[in-house]
Amino acid sequence: MKTAVFWGCRILTGQYAYEMSLREVLPRLDIELVELRESNCCGDPIKSVNDFTANYLAARVLALANLTGLDNLLVPCNRCHFTISEARNIIKENAKTGQKIKDLLKEEGLEYNPNIKVWHTIDLLHDLVGLEKIKKTVAKPLKGLKVATHTGCQIIRYSDLGRVDDAENPRKLDELIQAIGTETVDYAQKLDCCGAALMHSHPDSALSLAGSKLKAVQGLTVDGMVVSCPDCQLMFDAKQKDAGTTVGAKLNVPVVYYTQLLGLALGIDQKSLGLDLNQSPVEQLITRISV
Amino acid sequence: MSMAKPNLEAREKILAKLRGKELANCFQCIKCTSGCTALKLLELKPHEIIKLVNLGFVDELPSSDIIWTCVTCLKCVQRCPQKASPYHVIMALRNIAVEKEAKVPEGYFKAVSQILETGLAEAAQKCVTRKMEAVDRQNLKLPKVRPPKESFQVVFMKAMEEK
Amino acid sequence: MTRIGVYVCHCGLNIAGVVDVEKVAEYAKGLPDVVVARHYTYMCSEPGQRMIQDDIKAENLDRIVIATCSPRMHEETFRRAVAEAGLNPYLTEIVNLREHVSWAHTHEPEKATEKAKALVRMGVARVRLLEPLEKRKVSVEKSVLVVGGGIAGIQASLDLANAGFKVYLVEKAPSIGGRMSQLDKTFPTLDCSACILTPKMVDVAKHRNITLLTNAEVANVKGFVGNYEVSILKKPRYVDAKRCVGCELCTRVCPVKVPDKFNENLSEKRAIAIYSAHAVPKIAIINPDYCLRVKFNEGVCGKCQDACEAEAINFEDKPETVQIKVGGIVLAVGSEVFNAAQMAELGYGRFKNVISSIEFERISDASGPTGGKILTPKDNKVPKMIVFIQCVGSRDKRFHEYCCRVGCMVTLKQAILAREKIHENVRVYVCYIDLRAFGKGYEEFYRRARDMDIDFIAGIPSEVHCAADGSLYFDVYDNGTNKLLEVHADLVVLGTGAVPNSDLGNISALFHASRSADGFLLEAHPKLRPLESAMGGVFLAGACQGPKDIPDTVAQASGAAAKAIDLLSSGEIELEPLKAVVDKDLCSGCRICESLCPFIAIEMKPEIVAGNEKFRAEVIEAMCQGCGLCSAACPTGAIKIQQYSNRQVLTQVQAALAEAEAKGGN
Repeated sequence: MKTAVFWGCRILTGQYAYEMSLREVLPRLDIELVELRESNCCGDPIKSVNDFTANYLAARVLALANLTGLDNLLVPCNRCHFTISEARNIIKENAKTGQKIKDLLKEEGLEYNPNIKVWHTIDLLHDLVGLEKIKKTVAKPLKGLKVATHTGCQIIRYSDLGRVDDAENPRKLDELIQAIGTETVDYAQKLDCCGAALMHSHPDSALSLAGSKLKAVQGLTVDGMVVSCPDCQLMFDAKQKDAGTTVGAKLNVPVVYYTQLLGLALGIDQKSLGLDLNQSPVEQLITRISV
Repeated sequence: MSMAKPNLEAREKILAKLRGKELANCFQCIKCTSGCTALKLLELKPHEIIKLVNLGFVDELPSSDIIWTCVTCLKCVQRCPQKASPYHVIMALRNIAVEKEAKVPEGYFKAVSQILETGLAEAAQKCVTRKMEAVDRQNLKLPKVRPPKESFQVVFMKAMEEK
Repeated sequence: MTRIGVYVCHCGLNIAGVVDVEKVAEYAKGLPDVVVARHYTYMCSEPGQRMIQDDIKAENLDRIVIATCSPRMHEETFRRAVAEAGLNPYLTEIVNLREHVSWAHTHEPEKATEKAKALVRMGVARVRLLEPLEKRKVSVEKSVLVVGGGIAGIQASLDLANAGFKVYLVEKAPSIGGRMSQLDKTFPTLDCSACILTPKMVDVAKHRNITLLTNAEVANVKGFVGNYEVSILKKPRYVDAKRCVGCELCTRVCPVKVPDKFNENLSEKRAIAIYSAHAVPKIAIINPDYCLRVKFNEGVCGKCQDACEAEAINFEDKPETVQIKVGGIVLAVGSEVFNAAQMAELGYGRFKNVISSIEFERISDASGPTGGKILTPKDNKVPKMIVFIQCVGSRDKRFHEYCCRVGCMVTLKQAILAREKIHENVRVYVCYIDLRAFGKGYEEFYRRARDMDIDFIAGIPSEVHCAADGSLYFDVYDNGTNKLLEVHADLVVLGTGAVPNSDLGNISALFHASRSADGFLLEAHPKLRPLESAMGGVFLAGACQGPKDIPDTVAQASGAAAKAIDLLSSGEIELEPLKAVVDKDLCSGCRICESLCPFIAIEMKPEIVAGNEKFRAEVIEAMCQGCGLCSAACPTGAIKIQQYSNRQVLTQVQAALAEAEAKGGN
């Protein structure tokens, strides 16, 4: 099945491992990615500056997806997924704003298409590909591992908008992990935020939030934490050391993208999955996989 | 203790930015603040901001620091029994802060200029692997990023004119 | 020659403040056949009515038009006044100058006056074509069906039975008593609930005018006000009610454990048991979903039958249908409790020590799972810290927008009981949004709670967590002190509100009783007719109409009983004649009217016409509500509503357009 893909800013400019692992695993599950003609920011950081422009940017992404002629658009970043979903809703409910945005798009010869189905990595794999197919395709289930999941905030809230998973009891990422043979645990801090949005203005507080959650995960009997958003990965993985300093703890939590774990289960080599790029001690996790 | 005076005109401006008027339905259950991710570290009290806006005490909010402390975790939107959505109110106040040229964290303006320049909100970085090697998209054999056509810059600036 | 009198009411300033009533009366005087046209401040008052009556006699009037407020207000009043003067009351036409003119066009007085004139002109045209009609009397059954055996149903049944009416009380549980029998104490007096309830339950069982049908449900309702035919399904008990003495030997030998519904599944009982502690009737019942013998029917088990000395066990018991005829119905089916698992963030369903208010009630009750000791469900310990969280599922646009009315009082009661039972060894907190203590003695009860060292936090938590040792913890911000409290509790009690029964859709359909937007049963008028549904002869009592406390429930139940007595006591009722009527010669028997009628008021009756069998529509007058659907759909014009024939309606249209036509305009 073909799907258009919108990577967003963080993945394209720094969180390369997410892109690498997605490009590796999806073809093996019969999903072909089709690039957009060009990329613009979805508008997330602009929401605080000018809400209208933010919605316009998100609509432009959908208009670019429209050019591919495909019905599906994969948006692997949580924040992009939320921004685009909200923009679609606003354009539907507010005819005036919607018309202004459509007029702006027309100036570039672009046409807004509200009917494109917007997916995140988690529901694309869980609902579209399906757990059965993943189980069947997985060559070597990653037995012997136990992980904590971090689904993140903006793909589960707010429910009225129609999100990827349940806001109070998100289970899809857990089930995806179980489908590759790994155990997951429930923990009180599961729904806590990584703090990424504060990096612009209050970096210490952002790191404190990330550090607190990592500290809690470290206290569980797990081999690592699994995320599915480049902002969350940035906080928990790339900034783990700084986060530890901020909360006064020595943190040693392997943090990986789900697609990296899935890739391992599909028998793909570590380098291709970008596992060299993780800053957290992922070898700790990999060695725990039973042969 | 000085007497506070409401500014109802300014309040109307904020309400116009919000889709629904449901922030008027807030009955101060305090659930949003009880569960606010930014409360302990940064003393953000969403219920207080809603009440200040509802009563019209909006003159100081756009220039305050507090509106930039929201983590956008959306818990308040999810759980509010009256759908008053403090998060959306805070975003509206931020937009007004920008309009009024009050203090706005640098990072947001950097994002705007970056988008103008490359279409994306971030500049491409080199990453360092755990083995201390610096790599970029080219090293990793990832396809080139395609920036938007020039026409995008014009339209983007037009959009920014919209209040 | 018709002689019409037109009366224009000022309605104080309600009409006269916008409409020039003098001009309208003057205009009316100029209309054909109008002999008298007056205006007056309050037409519905005594002098106003007398004015009309005097004119009828003095001027020999035979048609009356009254331009006043909505006919829903005073049509009956004016009809009676006209009848007293010797004129048929159905020769009166009410023109609405208030709701339709002065209230709708308050800011356009000139246009409003023109509209008033037009409406009066239309009223005069119509009144000419009205025909004299008579109310018909129909005999009624002096018996009442009461659906639901909680305190509402019990009270209504006793009031009706004492007034000499035959009462059928149907309850779907094996015992009457309802929600009140699950309560420990009642606010604000802290009366023991069972102590005040059980005497009434016994009265019901013993009353010679009451037939008690427990473990039964209404299956079908036919007929009309005063003459309902109801079939009731009695589900099998598998125990002979005439033989069982309630000794409970059977329960002692039964090997099968089942969740105890009466104890809100906090404990288990046996597959054969008496339903509740103070059950009326005190007869055992077998749960067919669990009993091995009833489920598998292979001669297995049967230990209860072996043990029963009264030989009361009957595994062959079958459902039975009972048919009854009643004149009125009182719906008292109660309410359910919000399932807090829907608010997953509070941990109900995940953490055993997060419980609902009804579960706390069972724990506190001496006849409950812990013998009345406050113990945590997970580990059976006496809690050292109990926190109540209010408004769970209520005042919440995500679930139910209404306030559950009694949640605050229930929590105050439970907090006080906790303090009384555990004394100073427990901290008790109440997290609230607003504390509502509205009734007699309620505010004093709230003060009593504060006197007992119960602490109130102005704010509710967003989420509840469970630590590894099973203790509960959460953050809550207190609006009074502006402090964020980190709370550690052994027991969290959620103030779960009353919600409409899950089978209310079924009840609503069975009895044609509408529901309001909040899901409860809809009263005929929210202020002036709170005890009856819009359906004639169906009355409402208790929580099924909206959450309420015991005093309000009892008051409403007695009121509903009085309404039923009012309706049925004379043995007959009068029917309004504004109903559908069939001209048999025009009826082709196409049955379109029968299929459309929402009140099942049309029957097709066979007739032999010229040797052939034909079907003709016939209206069941008592059921017909005069809605007009049949009349609009009838292809031959055979069925019409009295006073609303095509002529009678179209003449108004012609009158409305008359002046415009004269002016040559649109």
